[in-house]
Amino acid sequence: MSRSFLPGVIVYSLILASIVAVRGEFIALALPFVMYLLAGFLRAPDDVKLEAARHLSTERAAPGSDVVVTVTVTNRGSHLEEVLLEDILPPDLTIRVGLSRHLVRFAKGASYTFSYTVSGPRGGYGFESVEATIKDRLAVTSRKVRLEAKGQLFVFPPVTRLRHVAIRPRRTRVYAGMIPARVGGAGTEFFGVREYQPGDPPHSINWRASARHEELLFSNEFQQERVADVGIVLDGRLRTNQFTRGHSLFEYSVLAAAALADALLTQGNRVGMLVYASFLRWTFPGYGRVQRERILYALAHAKPGGSEVFSDLEHMPTRLFPPESQIILVSPLHEDDLSPLVQLRAQGYQVMVVSPNPVQFELSYLPKTQTVELAGRVVRMERMLLLQKIQRAGIQVLDWDVNEPFDLLVKRKLSRPPAWLRAVGG
Amino acid sequence: MGLRDEVNVTVVAFVLSVLLGIGSLVIGYSQAGFADPVRWFVVLGFLWLAAHWQRWHWFSPVALLLAVAAAAYGVWKEFRTVWMILGALGGLLGWDLFDFARRLRYAAPTDDIRGMERRHLERVAVVVILGLVLALLSVYVRIQRLAFEVAVGLILLAALGLTRLVIGLRKY
Repeated sequence: MSRSFLPGVIVYSLILASIVAVRGEFIALALPFVMYLLAGFLRAPDDVKLEAARHLSTERAAPGSDVVVTVTVTNRGSHLEEVLLEDILPPDLTIRVGLSRHLVRFAKGASYTFSYTVSGPRGGYGFESVEATIKDRLAVTSRKVRLEAKGQLFVFPPVTRLRHVAIRPRRTRVYAGMIPARVGGAGTEFFGVREYQPGDPPHSINWRASARHEELLFSNEFQQERVADVGIVLDGRLRTNQFTRGHSLFEYSVLAAAALADALLTQGNRVGMLVYASFLRWTFPGYGRVQRERILYALAHAKPGGSEVFSDLEHMPTRLFPPESQIILVSPLHEDDLSPLVQLRAQGYQVMVVSPNPVQFELSYLPKTQTVELAGRVVRMERMLLLQKIQRAGIQVLDWDVNEPFDLLVKRKLSRPPAWLRAVGG
Repeated sequence: MGLRDEVNVTVVAFVLSVLLGIGSLVIGYSQAGFADPVRWFVVLGFLWLAAHWQRWHWFSPVALLLAVAAAAYGVWKEFRTVWMILGALGGLLGWDLFDFARRLRYAAPTDDIRGMERRHLERVAVVVILGLVLALLSVYVRIQRLAFEVAVGLILLAALGLTRLVIGLRKY
C-alpha cells in the first residue's frame, strides 16, 4: 500500500466531516496533511534512468569459497533523493561479508558501488537484476524498478585427482591412448608372439621361442593402447539418493562422477555424461579440457529429482553410448536396477558400477540401537546379494563406503598394477 | 542492529513528536475536563514508543488514525483548536519518523545515514511548520467580506490545483 493512502484518507475524512458539521476547523486539521502530501507529490522524481552493472571476482568457484560481487548503479536521470538498492540473490547463496541492500541518495549522473561476499553449495547461479525502490523526499510516492545486471556463478564440485582408472571396454577408438585395445601392435604390455616379418626391430625377436624352431624366427607383439568411449551415468533419482532426515548421497555421487570424468579425460578418452534424474541431461561425448568444463557445468547443475518415467533405469537411452563402449554408472543402486544393468551388459557394453554404499551411510547417522543394528545387518545382506548378482553378470562393482576417500578406493580397485606385478600375473 | 545503534537523531525526533502529539491532546482534553481519555492517550503514547523498539510496524498507522480521530473529536466538541491541531501534527510527525526509522534499518553501515537523517528532518520540519502556520491562519484569520471576483478566482485556482494533483497522482 502506498504511503500516501493513509494521509489521503485522513484528508478526505476531515473534509467530509467539515462539510457535514459545517465546521472550518476540520479543514484546518487537514491542512498539515495536505501540505505533507503536496510536498511529496510535487517533488516526486519524474525521470528515473538508473543503470546497473555487475562484476564477480570469479565465475567459477569451489563449494563454500568466497566470491566478491560488485554492483555499480549509475543515475542517468534526475536527482533521486532516496533509493533503496537491493541486489536479488539467487536462492542457496549466502552473504558472508557485507550487505546486498543499500539506501542511497543519487545526484544526477552519480554512481554508487557496493560489494559483498557470497558463498554457496555446488550449483549454477544466475544473477538477474538489482531492484531499486525510488521514493520522493518524504517517501509519499514510491516506484520500484528492476535494473538488469546479469551475472553467472558456477560452483563446481570438487574434483579429486585420480592417478589412473583402469577400464577395458570391448571396443576402442583408433587414436593412441592408455586403454588396452585387445589388439597386437606397438605398446608396452606383452600381448603374444608372431612370426618374424621383415622390418621388425631386432630387439623384438623372441629368442627363446625362435630357438625351438630351426627355420623360423618369432617376434614379440605388444598390446596396442588406445583411447576409448566412456559414458558416465550419474544416478540422480530420489528413490536411490534420498534418505531419512534429509540426508542424501547425491553429493558423493557427483564427487565420484567428477573425479572419474576428470581422470578419464586426462587419459585421453572420449567421455560423455548422462545425469539421470527427474529428466535426462546429456553432455555429448568429447575430448580434453573443453569437455571437462562441459561435464563440470553439467555436474554443477545436477540435482536429484523424482519422476514416474525415470524412477527405474529401464528408460536409460543406451543409444546415446557407442556400441561396446565403457559405461560407468554412479549410483547407490536399488534392487530393481539389476535387470537393466544385465541388459546393458547383454547389449555388449562394458559396465562398471560405482556405488556409494547407502547402508553404511544411513547407519552412520542413525542411533546405534539393537533394532537398528539388526535392520542394518538384514539390509547389508540384501545389498551384498544384489552386488553379487551384478558381478555375476560380468559387471565390475566398486562398493564405496563414503567415509573412505574416493581416490583411495579407486587406487585399490582400479589402479593398474605395476609392470613387475603384471609380469608375474598379479 | 543493537539498541545503542538505533538511538540516533531520528529516534529522538520521533520520541519528541509522540510527546508533542500526545501531550497536546492531553492538555486539550484536560482543559475541557475530559479526564478519562487522557489516560488512554498516555497509554497510546507508551505503546507507540514501545512499538518502535518492538518493531510492530503495523501499530504506527493505527496510532496516527487514533490521534487524528481524537483531535477531530476534540474539534467537534469545541476544545481549544490549537491543541487539537498540534495533536494531529504530532501524530503525523510520529508516523513519518517511525517509518523513516524503519527505512533507515535497510541502510548498510557504510551508507550516509547521518546525512539522510539531517535532510529528512529538515524537510519534514519545513512542511510541518508550513502546515501548522496555514492551519492556524485558517482558524484565526477571519475574512469578514470576500469580493465575489476574489471568490471565483479562488475557486478556479482550487479547480486548477485539483486537476494538476489528479494528473500527478495518475503517475503513481
